[in-house]
Amino acid sequence: MNLAELTRRKPWVAWLLFAGTAVVVFLIGMFGASIIERRGESATAGVPIRQLPEFEPRNAVWGEQFRRQFESYLMTLDTSFQSKHGGSARRDMLEQHPEKVVLWAGYAFARDYNQIRGHYYAVRDVHESLRTNVDQPATCWTCKSTDVPRLMNEYGVADFYSQTWRDLGDEVVNPIGCQDCHDPATMRLRITRPALIEAFDRMGRDINRASHQEMRSLVCAQCHVEYFFRPEDNYLVFPWDDGITAEAQEQYLDRVGHTDWVHAVSRAPMIKVQHPDWELYQTGIHAYRGVACADCHMPYRREGGVKFTNHHIQSPLANVAESCMTCHGGTEEEMVRRVNDSQDRIYELRRQAERSLAMLHIEAGAAWQAGATEAEMQPILRLIRQAQWRWDWIAASHGAAAHSPVESGRLLGNSIALAGEGRLQLARVLSRLNVQQPVPMPEWDKASLQAFIGLDMGAQRNQKQAFLADTLQRWYQSAGHVQPGPTDYVPRVRQP
Amino acid sequence: MEKGRRGVGQRLAGVFHRLAPPPQWVLPVTLLLGVGAGLAAMTFHVSRASSYLSDNPQTCVNCHVMAPQYATWSYSRHRETATCNDCHVPHDNKLRHYAFKASDGARHAFMFTFRLEPQVIRIHEAGQRVVQENCIRCHDATVHNTRLDEVAGDARAEHGEGLRCWACHRETPHGRVRGLASVPYEHVPLPGSVTPSWLRNLMQRNTAQPVSGR
Repeated sequence: MNLAELTRRKPWVAWLLFAGTAVVVFLIGMFGASIIERRGESATAGVPIRQLPEFEPRNAVWGEQFRRQFESYLMTLDTSFQSKHGGSARRDMLEQHPEKVVLWAGYAFARDYNQIRGHYYAVRDVHESLRTNVDQPATCWTCKSTDVPRLMNEYGVADFYSQTWRDLGDEVVNPIGCQDCHDPATMRLRITRPALIEAFDRMGRDINRASHQEMRSLVCAQCHVEYFFRPEDNYLVFPWDDGITAEAQEQYLDRVGHTDWVHAVSRAPMIKVQHPDWELYQTGIHAYRGVACADCHMPYRREGGVKFTNHHIQSPLANVAESCMTCHGGTEEEMVRRVNDSQDRIYELRRQAERSLAMLHIEAGAAWQAGATEAEMQPILRLIRQAQWRWDWIAASHGAAAHSPVESGRLLGNSIALAGEGRLQLARVLSRLNVQQPVPMPEWDKASLQAFIGLDMGAQRNQKQAFLADTLQRWYQSAGHVQPGPTDYVPRVRQP
Repeated sequence: MEKGRRGVGQRLAGVFHRLAPPPQWVLPVTLLLGVGAGLAAMTFHVSRASSYLSDNPQTCVNCHVMAPQYATWSYSRHRETATCNDCHVPHDNKLRHYAFKASDGARHAFMFTFRLEPQVIRIHEAGQRVVQENCIRCHDATVHNTRLDEVAGDARAEHGEGLRCWACHRETPHGRVRGLASVPYEHVPLPGSVTPSWLRNLMQRNTAQPVSGR
């Protein structure tokens, strides 16, 4: 019996054949379409659909055209990763290392100091920090937002810095993002913050001659460096005129007579270190080998035929396979263990320096109370300034022990030695003042120490609540801006 | 024999007769079969299916995923003498050669079509064994005095012991930096447009040249 007869007798067979053939042709078509699409995807990736304006602060607008980069950038909202010593999860550093409360007595850092979260939280964290209870200059915004280049263009650089933080509260809305590092016309990396360009100029270097590989670190160096606000006009300055090492920067700051604050307990003229990540990194093996920040913190990814830079900027320990293991042999477990070992050793030294320095401050306070003279305290206060500068260079630097373990060890060793020398000299002063017993020490926990240095934390928190409920809401209204995404946003997909 | 062959022929004719449509349907059925066959041919063409039968290394970057591997190889000494297949497919007999190539190729095609390729591409155990065989296949003269079994024998490797050639010759031929960071701006001969050039020219006569991607 042939098919014709069969279909005549059983018409459903014909329908079955029809449907089967349709399915097969459909699948072949889908497969062909998929292949064509996959071949096309790399040709269209990175080609702008339309021109972006020179000052477009909204990251989502850039994201419409560069969705892979934007979606990975959004992952900086993820606060779930915690390595042994760092990560993106919020940690109360004053709780973990309470000595810091004493070290920063008289300065806003003693109120509130947390492990940093991702770039997406930059503006929000500034709003929420107790440190902004103090009136800050607008210079504080410089590194927090894509609105800054726009505002600097509107006001001029010096006039931007000379305003207060509150003046620009309703203008600075969008967190660190695309505009900060990319040219909107070509997407090439570019420097948008004048301080870095000016610092390079003063060092006699032309930043425009940096290679692309150098730019993959220099865009980070716009912010992840040591800086200070020039007291007369709050102008943002990187203290690199005499070099970028800790000692060279200290020499420059001494030369211009800069003091961030006078310590509330020891009365020493202090300098707060910000985060000399880029400078410290230059002393490590990875910089020597030409590895850029982006190589480890933003490794390349592949999505089908398209290769792109992962804009989920984060600890390489969250993504060892794509960052470290690109060059390193061995296993991932071994890699993590080695990094942790190195960090454990450095941070052991940091803890020693912290305790030693905190005791030094408290003992100096006791000496003042016992009637010490300016003249005899002067050399000791100088030692305090030097020892704390070296400790803070490592304590404030993110990932110091991974960026440059040997230099970190050197600075912490020097810090401990200088603090020891300070305590030795102080012992002589105390002895002359007939203080024969060890100076009594407070309990080493955050709350006790904050009470010890005279901070009313309840008042601080109330002030912040009032700000968040009132001023901030007015800023949002004035900016015509809905409060940006929920604070506890948890991305659905976690990248490996 | 003669009888058997005629038997097969008759049976084939029988099958054909049973499948054949009634005379008035021959034309439409032929046309529809043509549509199906054309679609299949199109898929065959755009996927460059024929290239998979060759040994041309460009085939390996058809899907872009292997671009760093292609680029590092193309800057290596091995470019002059060895293609991808020379190292990554067994050469001891034809059967194993094509069986391995077919199974590896089918796996790659499947992974790429369904977007399953991992970010970090690592050679699997069977592939490692083949590469080791092929190192020895060509460099036999260099290594015949070396007590290879002592250090690199497969029997040892199966027990997690011993070393393969590239435990020491780490940069041969793909370099020490592996993965996407090894050649950030690699220029590899990626497949171009599926549209034939005459049609593209015809369409572009009145429009600006589009920016070509890598």
